[in-house]
Amino acid sequence: MAGYSLVLFEQDVEQINVALDVFLRETDAKCVLVLDKGGHLLAVRGVTDAMDASSLSALAAGAFASTREIARLIGEPEFSVLFHQGRREHIHVSLVDEERLLMAIFDDRTTIGLIRLYAKDTEEEIARLFGEIRRQRDRGARALKDLNQGTAETPFPPS
Amino acid sequence: MSAINYASKEIYFKIVYYGPGMCGKTSNLQYVHKAVPQDNKGDLVSLATDQDRTLFFDFLPVEALQVHGFTTKFQLYTVPGQVYYNATRRLVLRGVDGIVFVADSQWNKMKENVESFRNLEENLAEYEYSFDEIPYVLQYNKRDLPVIAPVEYLEYVLNRRAMRVSSFESVATEGTGVFDTLNRISKLVLHQLNQEMEARSRT
Repeated sequence: MAGYSLVLFEQDVEQINVALDVFLRETDAKCVLVLDKGGHLLAVRGVTDAMDASSLSALAAGAFASTREIARLIGEPEFSVLFHQGRREHIHVSLVDEERLLMAIFDDRTTIGLIRLYAKDTEEEIARLFGEIRRQRDRGARALKDLNQGTAETPFPPS
Repeated sequence: MSAINYASKEIYFKIVYYGPGMCGKTSNLQYVHKAVPQDNKGDLVSLATDQDRTLFFDFLPVEALQVHGFTTKFQLYTVPGQVYYNATRRLVLRGVDGIVFVADSQWNKMKENVESFRNLEENLAEYEYSFDEIPYVLQYNKRDLPVIAPVEYLEYVLNRRAMRVSSFESVATEGTGVFDTLNRISKLVLHQLNQEMEARSRT
């Protein structure tokens, strides 16, 4: 089974953003992202101007997947947290649910302890919201009917 | 799996270029990166060894034409082709929406092509995916080299499932066939999403 595509409506994104804004307010992190384990960016809040959030998501999902394999090799089902400490910027990636990850980028205005503390609450809230979205997965298709008819023969035309 | 975001009016797809070592997967992405206008692409990220062999994956985000007001964003990935990197190949397949299998047309690479295709099928099965559900196309690369198998033979060896799929001849380093392949797989994943949405709206 190839699985269901995820459909996020405006109100879903608003609720996710509220949860992420609470995290940013409580921790003073620079930005926070929700991504799926396949590397898609699903939501982002905070200061991201110099960052390529798509590449960040793809690489973080890859790094997380790689540590999962390492975990399996040493007899652990999964590591739930991945932490990279830089000179000024640090990254904390944690598991939200079976499919999604939460990634926080922060500097020395805050601490890893505070990030871990509030990441846990945020993971639970995000997991709850995606649980709701999954339960209502038969909705959708509102504006996307005849998607292929609406596409040109060449989605990537020659430049 | 694809993701549709009504707030940002974006649809995301993940396309994976798969195939044996040195068949031209990275060359496909490099050509796409070179040819797509600046506003419609991100950076090409390559996790490669010092010898420029793919270690984990290459990643290139590109935007295609709008569909019903939605921007379609395709995230193109390659896998490392070398046999002993199977664990990382499997990881990259997670959440894939469409696959381009790049075959090396040279006669002496046939066994590697077949083994890589079989390996793809096995790795898809790990996620409970199969070729019946995931759209894929074949690309016969390196058509400019002197000692290559005819297309009929490549078709016979690689395109032999009950449902034949689209296949393209290419010289990825020069761009020949690269966009034909990408356009075809993009159309197929859009079509697949459409089918899924129709089925969901009926339930």
